[in-house]
Amino acid sequence: MRGIVLAVLIAGPVTAQDTPTKAQGLAAWDDMYSVTSHPRCTNCHVGKGGIPMWNGLTYGADAVHGMHVQAGDSRVGAETMPCRTCHIGVASANATPHAPPMIDDAWRLPPAELAWLGESSQDICVQLRDPETNDGFDMEELATHLEASAFVAWGFAPGAGRSTPPIGLDKMIAALNLWASAGTPCANDP
Amino acid sequence: MKLTVNGKTYDVDVEDDMPLLWVLRDELGITGPKYGCGIAQCGACTVHEDGVAVRSCQLAASDVVGEITTIEGLGTPNALHAVQEAWIDLQVAQCGYCQAGQIMQAASFLDLNSEPTDDQIDAAMSGNLCRCGSYLRIREAVKTAATKLRAV
Repeated sequence: MRGIVLAVLIAGPVTAQDTPTKAQGLAAWDDMYSVTSHPRCTNCHVGKGGIPMWNGLTYGADAVHGMHVQAGDSRVGAETMPCRTCHIGVASANATPHAPPMIDDAWRLPPAELAWLGESSQDICVQLRDPETNDGFDMEELATHLEASAFVAWGFAPGAGRSTPPIGLDKMIAALNLWASAGTPCANDP
Repeated sequence: MKLTVNGKTYDVDVEDDMPLLWVLRDELGITGPKYGCGIAQCGACTVHEDGVAVRSCQLAASDVVGEITTIEGLGTPNALHAVQEAWIDLQVAQCGYCQAGQIMQAASFLDLNSEPTDDQIDAAMSGNLCRCGSYLRIREAVKTAATKLRAV
């Protein structure tokens, strides 16, 4: 029995101490892109236009947020109608279909530089690995952000039958850590 | 729990998750805010929390942290708010059901943006639906109120 355990330890799969290969890193990125390209994320990760989307909510393809809501340069709608007017900034069970989701944070769009809607896997990959374009996160901070953000937590458990990204938050964090350990490779890297 | 509405403090005995709109209408008899959809899609229930427009159908009673103002507390018959004056001057209302929410949204918006463009007015008011289609008069009234408020 002791010999079997030893053999497993020696021949076992990649351990936490091993540096993942580039291929493993790219596979991890593919998992991450399955999240960053999902409407649950891209509906708010929009560019400078500041108009959130309602894709994936049964309103049809390329549906913009109802009432043509504009988050503006402020990203919180301060110029016209604040997000908080409907997305009250308190935790909620979010159990009512079609009602505005709420979390224990001020509802807002991510910075425009973190636009994911319509962006390619390569572009988002390059964007997310660089603190100059990812809102200043190093990879450790990005993992902490995924673990701690009320927005991220809601995105993986949005309630009321809303669609969720194809992998769970735990797997997303594991993929990020693996991608980071592999040196944050992107497909078109030399 | 205690709620301050239109400058008066009330002690209400309600469930924590009762929407503020229900508290206002059914517990306090303040019926200016209207029930339209219950899911923040129409704006008829709009009130102010510390001056910022919120949909009272979405705000749970226990989550109210500021002072609530309803259409009843925005102005008085002898001292109307500039938005209320403009609404009367331009005879905006038709059936009137959505108008309390429209006025509360407009008043909050003009507090944030005193010199709005037409596009900004449309964007600010686009969450308040009017089945009578009074939108053009709403936009004109908001512009009129903005001019009045800037002159104060």
